[in-house]
Amino acid sequence: MKGTSKKRWIDYAVFGLSLFLIFCLIFDSYIELPRLVGWIGRLHPLVLHFPIVLLLICVFLGLTGRKIPKLLLTLAVTFALLTAISGFFLGKETGAKGDLLYWHQWMGGGLALLAAMWYWLAQSKSESQILTKILQVVIVGLVLVTGHYGGMVTHGEDFLALPKEKREEKIPENPLIYKDVVSRILDDKCVSCHNPNKKKGELLMTTLNGLLIGGEVGNTVIPGNPGESELIRRLHLPFEDEEHMPPEGKKPLEGFEVQILERWIALGASDTLRLEQLKKSEPMVELIHGLMRPDPAEKWAQLPKVADSTLRNLSSDYLTINRISSNVNALSIDVFMPPEYDSKVITKLNRVAGNIVELDMSGLPISHEEIRLIAACKNLEWLEIDKTAIGDEELDTLAILSKLETLKVFETNITDESIGVFANMANLKSLYIWRTSVSKDGVDRLKSKKPALLINNGIDKELKSFFIAKDSVPEI
Amino acid sequence: MEKDKNKSENPLKVNRRHFFSQLSVGIGSLALGSLLIPDLFKGTTENLLSQPLGIPHYAPKAKRIIYLFQAGAPSQFETFDYKPILRERMGEDLPESIRKGQRLTNMTANQDSFPLMPPKIGFQQHGQSQTWISDFFPHIAKIADEITIVRSMHTEAINHDPAITFFQTGSQISGRPSMGSWLSYGLGSENKNLPSFVVLTSRGKGNSQGLYSKLWSSGFLDSKHQGVLLRSGKDPVLYLNDPDGLSRSDKRHLLDKVSSLNKLHHVETGDDEIESRIAQYEMAYRMQMSVPDVMDISKEPQSIIDLYGEDCQVPGTYAANALQARRLAENGVRFIQLYHQGWDQHGNLHNEMAGQAKDVDQASAALVLDLKQRGMLDDTLVVWGGEFGRGNFAQGKFDPENYGRDHHPKAFSIWMAGGGIKPGLNYGQTDEFGYNVVENPVHINDFHATLMHTMGLDHEQLIYKYQGRRFRLTDVAGNVINDLLA
Repeated sequence: MKGTSKKRWIDYAVFGLSLFLIFCLIFDSYIELPRLVGWIGRLHPLVLHFPIVLLLICVFLGLTGRKIPKLLLTLAVTFALLTAISGFFLGKETGAKGDLLYWHQWMGGGLALLAAMWYWLAQSKSESQILTKILQVVIVGLVLVTGHYGGMVTHGEDFLALPKEKREEKIPENPLIYKDVVSRILDDKCVSCHNPNKKKGELLMTTLNGLLIGGEVGNTVIPGNPGESELIRRLHLPFEDEEHMPPEGKKPLEGFEVQILERWIALGASDTLRLEQLKKSEPMVELIHGLMRPDPAEKWAQLPKVADSTLRNLSSDYLTINRISSNVNALSIDVFMPPEYDSKVITKLNRVAGNIVELDMSGLPISHEEIRLIAACKNLEWLEIDKTAIGDEELDTLAILSKLETLKVFETNITDESIGVFANMANLKSLYIWRTSVSKDGVDRLKSKKPALLINNGIDKELKSFFIAKDSVPEI
Repeated sequence: MEKDKNKSENPLKVNRRHFFSQLSVGIGSLALGSLLIPDLFKGTTENLLSQPLGIPHYAPKAKRIIYLFQAGAPSQFETFDYKPILRERMGEDLPESIRKGQRLTNMTANQDSFPLMPPKIGFQQHGQSQTWISDFFPHIAKIADEITIVRSMHTEAINHDPAITFFQTGSQISGRPSMGSWLSYGLGSENKNLPSFVVLTSRGKGNSQGLYSKLWSSGFLDSKHQGVLLRSGKDPVLYLNDPDGLSRSDKRHLLDKVSSLNKLHHVETGDDEIESRIAQYEMAYRMQMSVPDVMDISKEPQSIIDLYGEDCQVPGTYAANALQARRLAENGVRFIQLYHQGWDQHGNLHNEMAGQAKDVDQASAALVLDLKQRGMLDDTLVVWGGEFGRGNFAQGKFDPENYGRDHHPKAFSIWMAGGGIKPGLNYGQTDEFGYNVVENPVHINDFHATLMHTMGLDHEQLIYKYQGRRFRLTDVAGNVINDLLA
């Protein structure tokens, strides 16, 4: 027959490659690859797509009862074997094989050998229809699963996971330092390369034990000694350094994250330590409190939507409306004294009263109408009505502003009668009342009612007299 | 087949049916593709780069900056970086292990020796933060717990012009927009009746270097972001006032006429610069009212005058400018840049610095206190500092009674207060000779990034495309120094 010798040749090749593959799989742990042979492994990503497509085409033709061209099947099988072998070489480079790689290797090897079996079956005269069909179905299944595992090895395990909204879980009250803070930092920045499936440098960072055992270099975390801990040393290396972690191209840790890791190791790298067990002076406390503070934009998420066109209509040369930041509906409004003042400029703001978070009306001739508008701004957090003619009566109207945090009423006509109003503002944090008729006694009373409130009653007397005594720079 | 053949012979010969069938496939695939573009039909997107300008990227801590620039570069050894070893080893040569061949200006490069020179002025610790501050600054010492001193600033420039240009524009080579212009570009104006970037200059008796208007230029940004120099005296803004005999209503009439002509021209050419010019004329008209009002300090009570010092009643002094800065801040100016010249002490350092310090000490501290009592320190960032530091060795002959110091870029000190910066902090450290930074270095790019962060801007996202490339204030560098943020 014409071409027989050629066919023989390819038969031999398939047989030889199959045997070689079986050998490799069995004697895996004894094999050490010469460098050049190991390099062949790098071709794995190049060739692996051929058998996937070719095998699927063959199976499709077979299952639909069409004739499978011999050449096609031959190519498919040869590529399957080459892929499996090159994949094996590549796997040897990785050193320790995680679960993913382990399964990928055995399924890939199995797939190539099954394909070779199909090749022989198709050659034999007594081709069993049922056996071939079963084989084809198994091959399809293996192609899918092996391919998927291979994808997970290169792209990470959750590569095919459904996209989910990235919403950081809040840190609970009195968090466990390791579980709720440290391991989150590690999860975010380190674990993609140091997990059970991809243990770069033999280091496992998903568990405390893994950290304490360390990796190839050792001494990853030495409890109580951040200076000697390899983890911290590498974080502090200059970016250009090969040993800097995370490596080039990955997101580096923020300064405060490094600090938290450092302090956690200094305090003994414990997984039972909680925030409230720390001393107040411990620098980590403030860092973690910073992490626990809610994002300001979040509290404004509930505010009604307000269109840019509305803002343009309401603003004028003397009234500036700004969103606090982009994509929030919280507004900051500054009003400056126009040559001809008309209270309508202010009362118009009624349309967006619920959105106003900061309002600066200092120095304006405020009357009842403006006060009514201010009182309608129920989400107001920052109010400046200093240098106006308002008094206790007006302030009483504003008592309903429960979210107010900063209130500037200096240079106004308020007196001690307003002390009660200030005391009842639950969220009030800073109050500016210098150059009003509030007496020292009134301030003291307010202080005792609201000890946390920052009351600014002008510059400290002693300090002021120092400034008035001029020329305190020594004559030289 | 027939049709295709025709088409290949003459590509223009496409019949109607053919055209529509191709069009429908084309539109269909475009529609399919457009599904991949998020928010295409919603008009909003989360992408910072495509956000409208004039809005912070995130909620800001500071709404405005007052930059008290000490032009000429005050020595850190006579201000905020106390190095007792200079006295212990006075006159000894600066160890080469410290200098490491660092380049020097040609004013000292040829010196045979570099004798260590201690400050003649004393130092003391102040406040709960136990901050070392020299006796030149008794008033600033009183507010030690309000300010944060950064002792680890460093730059690359060793001469005034490139160094100050670097500080103002993020580049040693002039031509880039000034910091204030970037902020005006990114955040817009708070008060439409005043420029959002204002410059005030003053000059001490010390050795001075020039100041150029390029330092507050808007570079390639729209010229409306340029800094406006407010001069002391009768005409704060040149050519702003109407000539004698022109009434305000005449002026209004004139502007209306000019603007209607300009609008016609705009319809013809569609050039947006015309619109911005119309807006500028209008603003100048309003500034005729607002500027004199802001500049008029006669309404300030005596207690405020006492606070800033008597000097503040003399127009053109640093103290007057500091008070002015507060008034401008109150009126919604985003970036207020003060320059005080005269800090270039190559010789006669002690006497000259005493004079310079006297100019700025009380007014700088008063400004911080005044802002604080108005609740403005929470949203106003005050920065005090020069363009580089000075050497720890004597320039010229060694004379502890009358010495000078040459330029030094590798380490110097500045301070900041308010506006989302932690108070009472001492950040960064230099080595025992005060020559190199050994802990927490802050480069000018980092400083800019941090300032922008306090203003609610991501320095990597505020970009202007010009001459085929994207520009930022921090260009391709800069990290926000999170440790400085409150």
